[in-house]
Amino acid sequence: MKSRLFLLNMWRKDSAESSGRFEYLQTLVTEFQDTDSEEAKEQVLANLANFAYDPKNMDYLKELQVTDLFLDMLTEENENFVEFGMGGLCNLSMDPECRDIILQSSGISLVTNLLSSRREETVLSAITILMNLTKASSRSEITDPAILQCMLRFSLSESPRLRNLAAVFLQDYCTEEQVAQAEQQMKGQQTAVGIPLPEDSS
Amino acid sequence: MAAPVSNSSGCWGVPEVYKHHEQRKVCISRPKYREGRNAKAVKVYTINLESRYLMVQGVPAIGVMTELIQLCALYGAVEEYRPLDEYPAEEFTEVYLVKFQKLTSARAAKRRMDEKSFYGGVLHVCYVPEYETVEDTRLKLQDRRRYILRAVHNKAKEKEQKESAEKEPTTSSDCTTSSATTSERIVMRHDKASGDDNTGETSNVSKHPSFPPLPLPPREYHYYGHKTQHGTVSTEDKMGTLHNAIIVTKQQPAPSSSSSQTYSEKHRLTSKPSVVRFVPRSTSLENRKRKMDEAAGHSMTDATRNTEPLIGPKLPEPPKLDMEDESLNTTVSLIRNTMKQVESVPDLKPVEKKVKPRRRI
Repeated sequence: MKSRLFLLNMWRKDSAESSGRFEYLQTLVTEFQDTDSEEAKEQVLANLANFAYDPKNMDYLKELQVTDLFLDMLTEENENFVEFGMGGLCNLSMDPECRDIILQSSGISLVTNLLSSRREETVLSAITILMNLTKASSRSEITDPAILQCMLRFSLSESPRLRNLAAVFLQDYCTEEQVAQAEQQMKGQQTAVGIPLPEDSS
Repeated sequence: MAAPVSNSSGCWGVPEVYKHHEQRKVCISRPKYREGRNAKAVKVYTINLESRYLMVQGVPAIGVMTELIQLCALYGAVEEYRPLDEYPAEEFTEVYLVKFQKLTSARAAKRRMDEKSFYGGVLHVCYVPEYETVEDTRLKLQDRRRYILRAVHNKAKEKEQKESAEKEPTTSSDCTTSSATTSERIVMRHDKASGDDNTGETSNVSKHPSFPPLPLPPREYHYYGHKTQHGTVSTEDKMGTLHNAIIVTKQQPAPSSSSSQTYSEKHRLTSKPSVVRFVPRSTSLENRKRKMDEAAGHSMTDATRNTEPLIGPKLPEPPKLDMEDESLNTTVSLIRNTMKQVESVPDLKPVEKKVKPRRRI
């Protein structure tokens, strides 16, 4: 009898905790929108992106439309914003519902643009997001020849992480014919996808 | 060690220094409500950054590799490890590469060992995904996706159950079913807590001697701990990698005892189909010896037995002491033999006591 009461309390606590979590996440989103401090924004953004790693928070983050918040970051000038937003999307896109939200917000082109980022972490996120976004209806867009050529270049990269991730993309998400075709095209003309812009000389 | 042609030598090639190995500056401008328990840098963790491979920096160069790997093994099976001699290290410290069998183990080890003191040094532990092979990376992503899908699925189920429980909250059966998962979780947590206590003894005094049984308030750091707990509870095998404090470094067969081991291995291999079996030399020798013994036994029985007619129980043989070490065993037998020799000569001549002339000063 006693133990059952204990368990019941546990269960109540559990649900109380989850509503607390929602409120907390809401506070974060509010601070992000209200603050003018870039630094605070970066911190909150990183917090939210890390919360997106835990599937327990997925529903709250969806409800708070954090997916859109992350997507908004992809066109920011501040490279930290971009990196953290991509990290958040990388975490969120594992979830099928979030994947669909991203696809509906024309996420593929936003993410593809970031294959040319100078930051490795951002590029890695981009590749993983593209893999996560792949489903029957999006496959043709994601296995665009330009993206494949970019992955072929990455697969020759000096960075093992980039090399590995690009290899997984080419092996698991593209057909052999697609890869062969992209290789052929690469000999002819090059696309600019995934070539980092020159760093600002300061 | 010149050209970093690490492609050819696979993941154990020459290490390179990457930016994400560096310890980032701790963020000090966080408002109170967003402060975790520990000061942390602003960094986003994704599956790309995580890895079964950890790099441990700051290990004092005093020959404590075994101790380090034992400490690592408290968090899960270690598959491989090696010192990264070529990696730039601070003076009097060493850098090690440790590959865990499971990502969750690496995660736990990183969380528990990073910035902890170890034989007078402070460890810096970070993930090193650049040591992964393509296959490692592929599996890592697949596991992660599978975990998320399962979590989503479980959550949908839980919701259904909760809804049905809310409809009839008084019926006891619903209560037990809805809380069953929770209770299970609690038990697991307790298990884990006790496991962590064990680790606390051997490692340094842990800041978190045990996990609290209740869900934690939503703070960044807490959340992290909570998450990993949850992760190990629901995703990982029932054995729980974190409880498993055994080093699974592949036991290399000792060269001295190789004959018996290889025999048993070969036996296992060949025993299935009865093809022409290769009989190892050791067994054929054994067989021959047995045959010779038997032959000798028939002819020699009388001789051997009659030399000493035995009546009554034999004297107990000196207990065979196995010191589990060859050199120790040799020493033991050596001492035994010497003692026997000493005992067998009881009538020692009483040593003439030379009265030493005392020196006079």
